[in-house]
Amino acid sequence: MVEFNNISFNYSKQSGVYNIDLSINENEFCFLVGPTGSGKTSLLKLMYFDIIPSKGEIDILGFNSKKTKKRNVHKLRKKIGVIFQDYKLLQQRTVYENIALPLHINGIRRKKIKENVSEALELTDLNDFQGKYPYQLSGGEQQRVCIARAIVKNPEIILADEPTGNLDPTAAHKILKILEQINKEGTSVIMATHNYKLIAEKDYRIIELKNGRLISG
Amino acid sequence: MIDQFAFLISEGFKNFFRNKLASFLCIITIFINFSILGSLFVIGFNTNSLIDFFRSKYTFEIFLENDTKSSSYESFIKELSTDEIISNIKLIDKEESAKIFEEEFGENVVEMLGYNPLPVSIKVILSEKDFEFEKVDALIFSIESIDFVDEIEYRGKYINQVEDRINLTIFIFLIFVIAIIFLSIQIISNTVKLSMSNRKDFIDILKYNGASWFFVKVPFYIESFLHSIFGGLLAFIFVKYLFTGFNSYFGVNVKLDEFLWIWIIGFSIFIGLYSSSQSMKRNLNE
Repeated sequence: MVEFNNISFNYSKQSGVYNIDLSINENEFCFLVGPTGSGKTSLLKLMYFDIIPSKGEIDILGFNSKKTKKRNVHKLRKKIGVIFQDYKLLQQRTVYENIALPLHINGIRRKKIKENVSEALELTDLNDFQGKYPYQLSGGEQQRVCIARAIVKNPEIILADEPTGNLDPTAAHKILKILEQINKEGTSVIMATHNYKLIAEKDYRIIELKNGRLISG
Repeated sequence: MIDQFAFLISEGFKNFFRNKLASFLCIITIFINFSILGSLFVIGFNTNSLIDFFRSKYTFEIFLENDTKSSSYESFIKELSTDEIISNIKLIDKEESAKIFEEEFGENVVEMLGYNPLPVSIKVILSEKDFEFEKVDALIFSIESIDFVDEIEYRGKYINQVEDRINLTIFIFLIFVIAIIFLSIQIISNTVKLSMSNRKDFIDILKYNGASWFFVKVPFYIESFLHSIFGGLLAFIFVKYLFTGFNSYFGVNVKLDEFLWIWIIGFSIFIGLYSSSQSMKRNLNE
């Protein structure tokens, strides 16, 4: 599903990711761990082609980083759900409108949009918040909206970049639980985190990075 | 597809109303620029009419001695009509001269003096197509030497100078027009750039959720389209009433092209969409 073949990318001489070989299977749940600046976010950005490797190539969901033209990158992103640490929600739009946005992008019919958003709201326990605006919600609730927006289009893979980074332990556990539920329903999940406590008891694959290099996993 | 298109259209309209201040500034900018452009267009349109008016005056009139026999000037007219730089010749006999005098001065010269002192004249209309001042000068010089020719009235040099001035004015207008178009493109591009940087999060979210560049751009195009329509419409109304007022105040007849509204609004839409497209190309990092 995801293949990294000797990937390198550097922002400067001292930051980036170097010589990464990695393979992630279908329906897998894995944690991407490492201290701040270890290259977790870069690795995720490489997966949705926000950055393109300077060396090596990535194969993801049938798209190759070397062969895919810039104008076709959106086709890959339609198959991927991305969750951000800072939520990236549109403050002027309601929870419902935020979640429905990817479906509008995919050209889904209005009736189907209602159904899919309802399912996503149900899964993330946000039914009571659909008419509210993001600034009226707590951090944990906003992150759940972000998750709902990522899953609403039924992606093949979820990339979560520090989704619990700004949350208290209770909210963080709730988020992890939702991601586990999504994975159980057949979606691969790659979650970047430096919250070792949160994942300590989990029996999932751990990919560890340090200074942009793969340590284990 | 229809739902997607409806969503994009509604996004464009929503953005237009969400960014009220930016929209207002953009409309005002387009209004000012296209009011100037529209006014220049009207002036240019009327300058062409002025040139046409002057060109129609490419004539000279030959006044004959009072005792000239009709057989002499008839053969002279025949000879003149073969010249390629002449398009038409009109004989104005004594009776017609008296009529023209009466029309211009309100007096009947025959009744006033008891005889008609006005000379016979020949009005020569020059061909605009083959017009050359050197050829006309040479022709006039040769006519002056004929015995029965008393005087020739010719204002060619004066017309030439006026036309040169008009052409210079048109050239300066053109420079102004180009400068204003350039200025409009810069201002609209920067407004779109500002609008995009204000909505960077929105663009990022669209991109990360799989939106194509087309999908990202359409709402901005719609926004620009609305700015251009409103700005252009206001500019048209302003230009129309400016010149209508000018005509009635000064009692002149500055003509307005019947398609002026299409020129102003259409051109503002074109400039608006072009500027947006250029701005998006530069700032979206496609």
